[in-house]
Amino acid sequence: MMTGIQEDKGRRVVSAGSGAGRLDARDKATGITRYVADLSVPGALHVAVVRSPVPHAEIVSVDAGLAGRSPGVVGVFTAADIGTPRFGRRVIDSPVLAIGKVRYVGEPVAAVVADTRRHAEEAAALVEVDYRELPVVASAEEAVGGRAAAVHDSPWDYPGAVVSRDDGPNLQSVVRLGDEAATEDALASAAVMVDSLYTTAAGHQGYLEPQGCVAQVEPDGRVEVWINNKSPYRLVTQLATSLSLDPKRIVVHPLPIGGDFGGKGSPMAAPLCVSLSRLTGRPCRLVLRYSEDLTSTNPRHPTTMRVRIGADEDGRLVALRFDSLADGGAYAAFKPTASVNLHGLVEAGSPYRIPRRYIESRIAYTTTVPKGHARAPGAPQATFAVESAMDELAARLGMDPVELRRRNVLRDGDPNPDGIVWAEARGRQVIDAALGALKPKPVPPGWLYGWGLSLYDRATAPGQTSLRLRDDSRGAGVVAEVPIPETGTGNHTVVREGLARLLGVDRSEVRVVHVSTSDLPGDAGVGGSRVTASLSEAVERAAAAWRSRTDGQPVVVTLDGADGGTKVTSFSVQIAQVAVDPETGQIRVLEIISALDVADVVNEAAHRMQVDGGAAMGFGFAVLEDLRIEDGQVWAGNLGDFRMPTAHDLPELTTVLVPGGKGVGVLNVKQIGELTNVPTAAAIANAVAAAAGARIRSVPLTAEAVLSAMEASG
Amino acid sequence: MKISLELNGEHVHVDVEPDSLLIDVLREQLGMTGTKEGCGVGVCGACTVLVEGSPVSSCLYLAAMAHEREVWTVEGLTATDPDLADAFVRCEGMQCGICTPGQVVAAAALRRQRPGAGDEEIRQWMSGNLCRCTGYGTILEAVKRYVDGD
Repeated sequence: MMTGIQEDKGRRVVSAGSGAGRLDARDKATGITRYVADLSVPGALHVAVVRSPVPHAEIVSVDAGLAGRSPGVVGVFTAADIGTPRFGRRVIDSPVLAIGKVRYVGEPVAAVVADTRRHAEEAAALVEVDYRELPVVASAEEAVGGRAAAVHDSPWDYPGAVVSRDDGPNLQSVVRLGDEAATEDALASAAVMVDSLYTTAAGHQGYLEPQGCVAQVEPDGRVEVWINNKSPYRLVTQLATSLSLDPKRIVVHPLPIGGDFGGKGSPMAAPLCVSLSRLTGRPCRLVLRYSEDLTSTNPRHPTTMRVRIGADEDGRLVALRFDSLADGGAYAAFKPTASVNLHGLVEAGSPYRIPRRYIESRIAYTTTVPKGHARAPGAPQATFAVESAMDELAARLGMDPVELRRRNVLRDGDPNPDGIVWAEARGRQVIDAALGALKPKPVPPGWLYGWGLSLYDRATAPGQTSLRLRDDSRGAGVVAEVPIPETGTGNHTVVREGLARLLGVDRSEVRVVHVSTSDLPGDAGVGGSRVTASLSEAVERAAAAWRSRTDGQPVVVTLDGADGGTKVTSFSVQIAQVAVDPETGQIRVLEIISALDVADVVNEAAHRMQVDGGAAMGFGFAVLEDLRIEDGQVWAGNLGDFRMPTAHDLPELTTVLVPGGKGVGVLNVKQIGELTNVPTAAAIANAVAAAAGARIRSVPLTAEAVLSAMEASG
Repeated sequence: MKISLELNGEHVHVDVEPDSLLIDVLREQLGMTGTKEGCGVGVCGACTVLVEGSPVSSCLYLAAMAHEREVWTVEGLTATDPDLADAFVRCEGMQCGICTPGQVVAAAALRRQRPGAGDEEIRQWMSGNLCRCTGYGTILEAVKRYVDGD
């Protein structure tokens, strides 16, 4: 739906009844949609995992005698049985089952395979493991502090490792970017400077569908996998590498995904289930219990950041130095980028003109759950730090914090700190749009009122994908075969919409089918908010080929993901209005206004849910969510303790779209999935500072922290 | 032990363990996979079903307690009342869909127990059902549409 929505408070669902709605809606609303846990694979055995109860230890012995004799048990397996494969998205350092040592509470040590899930779980409780405990490395600060135990003896030897012996023992990645000496000189001569330390907690992605996998190894060696993995083509490569398999003989079947938010891109349980199926000759199924998912998968990196930012007397930024140290946990396997770092951290300060910037981003090994990607990896952390520091800098300058941003935000033609010049830079317009929507809310008697603003920008970049069009044997229409799982964002609906428009046919004549990895050339997977952009490019090329075909044969297009197109970024500005109770420090977030730099919107409802769902997630990150990892263990081990926002918890969410932006592809789109979860924490922290004079430099922001900061500032 | 229940309007008999959970019996023995297991501790609401017209978390509810009771799942509720799924479809009240069956069942319970509920009552009622995707806006609109009989 192409719409020019200026202000969409009191929005209607304009697609209702227009036929532009989601193609997966009815099956989802009636319970028909089958997810991985709903599959019935004939002959499948059930897997339960025996996990480490200690953060760091040598495995002295595993006694599976009692478990092996338990009802229904087919076998109990350890690394001694499956061999010693490791897997990873880039660094191949994570064992499938622990090899000699465990490095976090929750690490898989043994797997019980049985006829039912109940039998497998009952037997898993009977496996006796004897551990000799080793020193705990509980935090990133400890890990690099010089006196910590080595989490791995020689991490630089793992395939894909990006560190060397010179980097010291406990590092997964270190990125240094920019001219350090010039940045230090500029800071030393700045008229005004802020030097502050910020921290963020670990948080789970919070998808409600736990990770699950069914794998079947056929007698001829063919491997079939059913899994809620968002990057199935990459999974094929990762599995082949990890288990020394021929990638041509691995098929990952299509399934919808019950929420991802970055957390379902690793091989997950596939290497284990494939290994167990090889040993048992039967399909093996593992669906995690939610508590296992919360405590032992790949949550967001807790991060400590030191920000030093300087300006001249007029409030023009002269330099930014950003030093971050993130806790990567026991294995680096869950980060896919070439640098094994987090984009958000190494792009700190991206919305601004900053003549000198130096970034050092270190990620440490610790004996805690391995950390991975979570919606806009690294960006919520970095933006909390930098955007809080911007308000602190404005206070030092005696300047309005909004004015400080207006003076420094990128304008058309400005290079960003990485030297990129965007097709357009609409930061000021988006700031003004946010301010235009601000109408102060009343607060309870005796409470303090404040509002705060925060800013973020993120690029839109299409990636590698492919698409096939063929005649529909069921009727007159066209079938679009897509390689990308529907994670909920509506990407299959985007394909239908684009094709209907380009081919000039009714939507009902376009059928979108997610196919298995053996059916299409490839895809980079869901991630980096690239799906709508990639698919719309592929749709454009496929439709052109389809219209000009003369042989009636299917049309296949592939996109290599090469970056040759328009360089597009989107600005996201949030304003939070808060009330603070001076007696208790309690924060009540009254409203989050999100102003967004958009091009055309394909499906308004889906776009809006990405916006609102992101703001809800940003709100959770800001004030609620903390896995509470202490002494090497996740303590918030269920959804009662790890609190995510309910409908009742959320403040009013207001969105202002600033249309007319330059997008990419035939649909003229920009990414939306990772814009609104990022600036929220700083917007709220800046609002709390404005209301109560309390500058809180750690998230989640708590009443206790506010109260003690208020007491300290008198 | 054998129990009998009225499932989605049909009389069924099923053999369960004394500690079997209703969710497992529904999903694994009776093929009703529309009911989803999320948190497993009664917090997220994905496994919500109606027992005697009231919403319960089937991940905490013993199957044996459903003996001689009326149980409705998302499959039965949406089959007998087309307006229920229609409201969610028309408002696009879902994204990934894993929480949707629970949201739908909670909405059905709301209309039965609090016909004519207002916005704030709807928001309170639906707070037992987590959604990580949507920010709740379209879900609450769908529930309102259904409760209002639009």
